[in-house]
Amino acid sequence: MKAVGARVPRYDGVAHVTGHTVFVDDIRIPGTLWVKAFRSPVYNAVMTNLDTSKAEAMQGVHVITWEDVPLLEYGHLSALGIPADEPLLAKDEVRYLGQPIAIVAAPSEEAAMAAVAAITADFDERPALFDVRKAFAADAPQIHVEGNWYAHFEDEMDRRQIRKGNIEEAFDKADLIVQGVYRPAAIEHAPIETQVCQVVPEANGRLTIYSCTQALYFSMGVVAAHLQVPLNKLKVVGGTVGGGFGGKVDTATETMCALLAQKSGKPVKWRWTREEEFLCSSTRAPWHMEIADAVTKDGWILGRRMLTLHDAGAYSRFSPYGLTKHSFHHTGAYSIPNLEFDGYVVYTNRTPTSAMRGFGVTSVSFATETHMSRIALELGIDPYELRLKNANRIGDTSPNQIVYTDPSTVPTILAIADAVGHDLTPEYRAMTPDQRSGSLLPEHLVGQLGNPEAH
Amino acid sequence: MKLTVNGVDTPIESGPLTSLLDVLREELGVTSPKAGCEQGGCGACTVLVDGEPRRSCLTPVASIDGAAVTTVEGLGSPEDMAPIQQAFTHHYAAQCGFCTSGMMLAAQAYIDHGGSDDHEAIQEALGGHVCRCTGYVKIVDAIAAAVRGESFDLTVTAPGAAMTNLGGVR
Repeated sequence: MKAVGARVPRYDGVAHVTGHTVFVDDIRIPGTLWVKAFRSPVYNAVMTNLDTSKAEAMQGVHVITWEDVPLLEYGHLSALGIPADEPLLAKDEVRYLGQPIAIVAAPSEEAAMAAVAAITADFDERPALFDVRKAFAADAPQIHVEGNWYAHFEDEMDRRQIRKGNIEEAFDKADLIVQGVYRPAAIEHAPIETQVCQVVPEANGRLTIYSCTQALYFSMGVVAAHLQVPLNKLKVVGGTVGGGFGGKVDTATETMCALLAQKSGKPVKWRWTREEEFLCSSTRAPWHMEIADAVTKDGWILGRRMLTLHDAGAYSRFSPYGLTKHSFHHTGAYSIPNLEFDGYVVYTNRTPTSAMRGFGVTSVSFATETHMSRIALELGIDPYELRLKNANRIGDTSPNQIVYTDPSTVPTILAIADAVGHDLTPEYRAMTPDQRSGSLLPEHLVGQLGNPEAH
Repeated sequence: MKLTVNGVDTPIESGPLTSLLDVLREELGVTSPKAGCEQGGCGACTVLVDGEPRRSCLTPVASIDGAAVTTVEGLGSPEDMAPIQQAFTHHYAAQCGFCTSGMMLAAQAYIDHGGSDDHEAIQEALGGHVCRCTGYVKIVDAIAAAVRGESFDLTVTAPGAAMTNLGGVR
């Protein structure tokens, strides 16, 4: 424990400031081919007549399409038995602008760009959906065969559902229903290092993969599955990431580079342009959240109904996982005993969305905190006091019935009040996270308490 | 063509319109300037050309034939770091490290031109450099400290001091 509370220099700090850190793009392997992508120029279409013959006829050029992928559809959640919905390379349909269709490797960047320019395909465009509410509607054009709702939550449900307590009773007893709609937009991670990968075919038959991934073992499994090779055929070298923020959790480049290294027998490197990073890499999802709370005049929240639409973009990737985290946090840092939550992962024709810092939770925190302030405003109650009153305390239970043993809501709110110089009455100033009793244990919260000792 | 790269006279074989970034990275193997956007927007490729910060991705090498080019490799080594390198290390101004090289060279030019430790002036001088990790505060703190000529202890300090700040919060 010598490091706790000590000032410890970064282990990589000196290398960073002296130019000694070797990022993936800095690895120098003679004879490396440049990789570029032929991507969908449209948002939603049936694709026919993909023709890579002119590119393949070029000197030193290698091309892969869906036909070169041993297992075309595989996802990060496939390891959990969840069906994949995204082909590594588009086969006969494209569902977002920039979706990769064919990937080329060539002796120089210019030659790779020329090869991409020589690839053609026909696109019979279909209506594209960009608004998650329109895609959610029952009569919306169907983006996937199964429909626009991701359909593989537990027990093959088409939604993430939480039921707790008696929601009807809570709304019957309410003095007021406070409603709000919250719609945070998509955010691109925009790491300064774009997606980048180098793959070297070794003499012993293995592939060495230099990757900027944030999730090395995920990537290893995904590459092995697509290639249908055992893990011991892959050596993945990672650990140096030029900014990721969740944007390097998906396996964006490694599999395609591995296939090209196999096919060409040469080292290959793919460094996305800034334009590709913005247009084609995953983003934080746009969300649509509707909240209706049953509240009392004195500031207790008896129950919450919530509808969440998580915009997955064209493919689900990690979105079901993000929505699950979202659902577990949909009361924020507060105890609400009666809940009815329905969340959907909805396909649109946007770039697929996936992990980003606080995945699934930042959206719901934005919504719930804004909603708390809205309740306080409508009731004419101090927003700090409303929060402190409803704050999670030891023994309270989360939406998914986890008993809180050390919730930090009360000290955090008190610290914020101190930091901004907000006056609190002595009653609120003296609050602690201790178990509810007395005036802090009204009738509606009695039934939701759990035993923290059991955890 | 030739350049003086970090004090060493170096003949250049790349074509005249090759970007200085590609000359440094691909021909000479000097990899500290980064290809963050290749359109002059992020500042990660910045190097000093005759002491002035330049976007190497937008600089055709022929336009600076004969110039002296400095990258962070030329500022100091791990064993003998320049003050700006020590300051960045001490203040945790390098997080992922990808923007760091460009940031430090712009900062070095700012200091060489007699810049002050005023935070707004530093922000103005570094305005063209994007960092996605730090939120910039540590970078500005590091540059201000370097301007003031502070000395930096880069060893592990004794534990304890930081913990007391948390005493009021459970």
